[in-house]
Amino acid sequence: MPSVEEKPKPFLVPEYCKGCGRCVNVCTKGCIAFADEINPLTGIVPIVLDLEKCTGCGLCIDACPEPYGLRAMEQGETYELQDPARLFGVRPDAAPAPVDIPARKVPLPKTQPLIIKGNYAAAVGALLAGCRHFYGYPITPSTEGAELMAKLLPKLNGVFLQAVSEVATVNHMYGTGGAGIGSLTFTSGPGFSLMLEGISYMVGSEVPGVFVNVMRGGPGLGNIAPEQSDVKLACRGLGHGHSHCITLMPSTPQEMLDYAILAFELSFKYRNPVVLLADGYLGQMTGKVQLPDYMVKPGIPGWAVYGDQGHRGNLISSIHLQETDLEKFNAHLEAKYQSMKVEARAESYLTEDAEVLLVACNTPARAAKGAVKSLRDQGIQAGLFRPITMWPFPVRQLEALLPRIRRIVVVEANAGGQIMDELRLNMSQAGVEKLPPLTYVRRFGGMLPQQTEIVDHVNSILGK
Amino acid sequence: MSVFYQKFERHSHGEGLKGQSTHYCAGCGHGLAHKYLADAIEELGVQDNTVLVSPVGCSVFAYYYFDTGNTQAAHGRAAAVALGHKMANPEAIVISYQGDGDLASIGLAETVAAAQLGAPITVIFINNAIYGMTGGQMAPTSLMGQSTATSPSGRNRFNGEPMKMAELIASLDGPVYVERVALFTPAGRKKAARAIKKAVRIQKEGRGYAFVEVLAECPTHLKMTPDKAEEWVKEHMLPIFPLGVKKDVEVEPWFKLPAPSFEAETFTRTVEASTQAQARFCKGFPAHLNPHDISMKLAGAGGDGAQTAAMLVAVAAINEGFDGTHIPSYGPESRGGTSYADVHVARDEVLNPASPTPDILIAFNAPSLAKFGLTVKKGGFIIYDSSVARDVKPGDPSITVVGVPFTEIAAGLGKLVVKNIVALGALQAATNLFPTETFIAAIREALKEKAKLIPLNEQAFQAGMDAAKEFLAAKQK
Ligand code: SF4
Ligand code: SF4
Ligand code: SF4
Repeated sequence: MPSVEEKPKPFLVPEYCKGCGRCVNVCTKGCIAFADEINPLTGIVPIVLDLEKCTGCGLCIDACPEPYGLRAMEQGETYELQDPARLFGVRPDAAPAPVDIPARKVPLPKTQPLIIKGNYAAAVGALLAGCRHFYGYPITPSTEGAELMAKLLPKLNGVFLQAVSEVATVNHMYGTGGAGIGSLTFTSGPGFSLMLEGISYMVGSEVPGVFVNVMRGGPGLGNIAPEQSDVKLACRGLGHGHSHCITLMPSTPQEMLDYAILAFELSFKYRNPVVLLADGYLGQMTGKVQLPDYMVKPGIPGWAVYGDQGHRGNLISSIHLQETDLEKFNAHLEAKYQSMKVEARAESYLTEDAEVLLVACNTPARAAKGAVKSLRDQGIQAGLFRPITMWPFPVRQLEALLPRIRRIVVVEANAGGQIMDELRLNMSQAGVEKLPPLTYVRRFGGMLPQQTEIVDHVNSILGK
Repeated sequence: MSVFYQKFERHSHGEGLKGQSTHYCAGCGHGLAHKYLADAIEELGVQDNTVLVSPVGCSVFAYYYFDTGNTQAAHGRAAAVALGHKMANPEAIVISYQGDGDLASIGLAETVAAAQLGAPITVIFINNAIYGMTGGQMAPTSLMGQSTATSPSGRNRFNGEPMKMAELIASLDGPVYVERVALFTPAGRKKAARAIKKAVRIQKEGRGYAFVEVLAECPTHLKMTPDKAEEWVKEHMLPIFPLGVKKDVEVEPWFKLPAPSFEAETFTRTVEASTQAQARFCKGFPAHLNPHDISMKLAGAGGDGAQTAAMLVAVAAINEGFDGTHIPSYGPESRGGTSYADVHVARDEVLNPASPTPDILIAFNAPSLAKFGLTVKKGGFIIYDSSVARDVKPGDPSITVVGVPFTEIAAGLGKLVVKNIVALGALQAATNLFPTETFIAAIREALKEKAKLIPLNEQAFQAGMDAAKEFLAAKQK
């Protein structure tokens, strides 16, 4: 039977005492009292121990809120402030260096094209990119994507979780992305608005994740018909702070799949969320979709907080309390955004000799393509410039076309000209001040610009 | 003790005494809860697997101290973030550490949803009846009459009663263990330490969601000395927030997620991608209808099967190696029980998938004919259900009009739903878009799960063809 003397008595480095007195009251032996003077290092009156009557009951230790406050005394400890590594011995289990488990490609057999709608194609693309985690809240016109994931993910041992809201959705994604695992959501305007705070946190903590926003008519509830009215949000309004994400704008079901794969790749490459902006019409459109010859089996990046020994030392956080630290971090983000400019992509259709350049994305780009064809049939040298990344804007690609272009016509499905704003702002920021005259064809409220409207507009500006 | 960092490098870069002391005020309850949590993590041997989610509030910097994986969450979202971690790695021990503003006010929806979901995470809820970080404002758990920066003359009816979270969480089906503890007596502290350890152990064993509410002291904003704050908790909080186990159910370990599959064969089967080449029957692109891109519109009422027929045409086109698109009509025109589909068949690439001026219109009813009849291109085709519309005249003499009684034929076959297949038969005979075999193959493919319907559909297709041929022959005479 152990005697009371064998129980360890308390020990305190006075500098780590906050002087709260919680320990004073619990000692029935009267061993603990406040010191007579302020500790010069802390400016606090610490307690002092007089352990003559101490039974080693340990109640004072349990009552001390400070991790390095009252502790059980070990042999040879003294009251002097010293390096805890020496004082408490070097810990054998300090976190090891983070481990980077790389992603790899799994070859797929050659298959016949799938014939599926755009929303499905983006979901299948995410699966091909190695995504096995989906979080989302149902919202028209994006729900088919979520529904397909709900059907397919269980077959691939994946996780489908219908969140309580879009706010919860983005935070599930923050957790999963913070663990170094990619996740996907489908949403539409009102839901995307709710996710913006979380996207800002993801950007600030450098957490990947892919957001498919199947844009619908706004503002407010608006309607569920197609619009392109979240370009401004995706490019200029991703929550608070200096936040940007690569924003992809596919225009066919095939591109929904291809750019969903690309979105995951870029999201991990840059440790940043990626936004895929589709429109309600493209989401519903069925077409031919060829699968690639590989699928990604993701790894676990070195920076992840996965919940294993190899990643124990990591932190996912957007806090930089000291101004100089936050300034440095924002400079890092800005440098990262600049480095993303190499990802700018665009398609040019019949632009080699074009004098009238249509600029359009998503489904309106297909009407514009049709318009180029019929304008060419009329003998008008029309071409289409289709930004695939809206952020970063394909500035260099457009600049290269400018010398021959006499007119630019931006075709888009929103009332204010959000794509035209991006065009002007990006070209101006890049120092391209002289643009040919810009006009536009816009429909909105759920109406899309039609081929005939575009043709008529071009004819009218050319005075035909 | 090893679960705390040796040196708090993240606390002002670990400079000076901050490397070993917390940012909490003297006598703050957070420090004790941290200690008990650290002990639990150590004693259960889960340090390597632990992911601690820090909230917004005074414990926002919990990640300064715990030598575990750490994530800092947005205000109120810690439980949602914790679930994200748990789903990413079911082996992780995920702990959501939150204060009252975070958990019981701004994050209430996430808190309740995570609890009801019941997935094993551990939630440590520090209730000190006041906002600490923002400077002593009213918390959802502030007491009636308690004066705070935002309830200067005391919380009253207009602010509502304090939220009793342990009781609320215990009333849900999801959680398996809910307890409220306090920190103001030695016995109470032992209980608190035990409860926190139990809540982590339940997660370790995969049994479910556990919630520990800790009544804690905030001497700073109660404007009291630490010992007075302890007394205040005992005297004023305890009657409103009674201590004890609120829920503790025996549950067998259940939470297991299989490892995600990245197996090629499973994947192609799951997305129904076929490795077998489709048979092709076309000799070439049906350029007699349009040199590059044939546009079609199928229009009817909901239930006419226009969308299914449209899909079959797109699928047939793609099987033949062409491009094909289908888009159900969208926007205002899709309301009111109408169902329109735009289809394109293109030699190389469909440029514009909409069909404002189709080469071919298939109309299942009179309103559709009225709406779209005049949009059909010169030299195009109108194929309509002559059971419901009669004597249709083309807008232009170059347009071929073919009337086939879709509905009557389908009724004769005993199944009204096949009238869209009758229409496809008529389309084939009238336009020779694809060889018959192409359509038949597409129909068989679509019905492969309901094989016994194939003969009926083939009959319907044949009947549509025959009727269209008859109509055209009669017109020639
Ligand atoms: S261990 Fe017990 S007896 Fe000794 S100082 Fe602490 S409370 Fe007093
Ligand atoms: S409980 Fe700890 S911090 Fe408080 S007075 Fe005692 S030794 Fe100091
Ligand atoms: S303000 Fe209150 S809750 Fe916050 S650290 Fe100080 S005592 Fe603790």
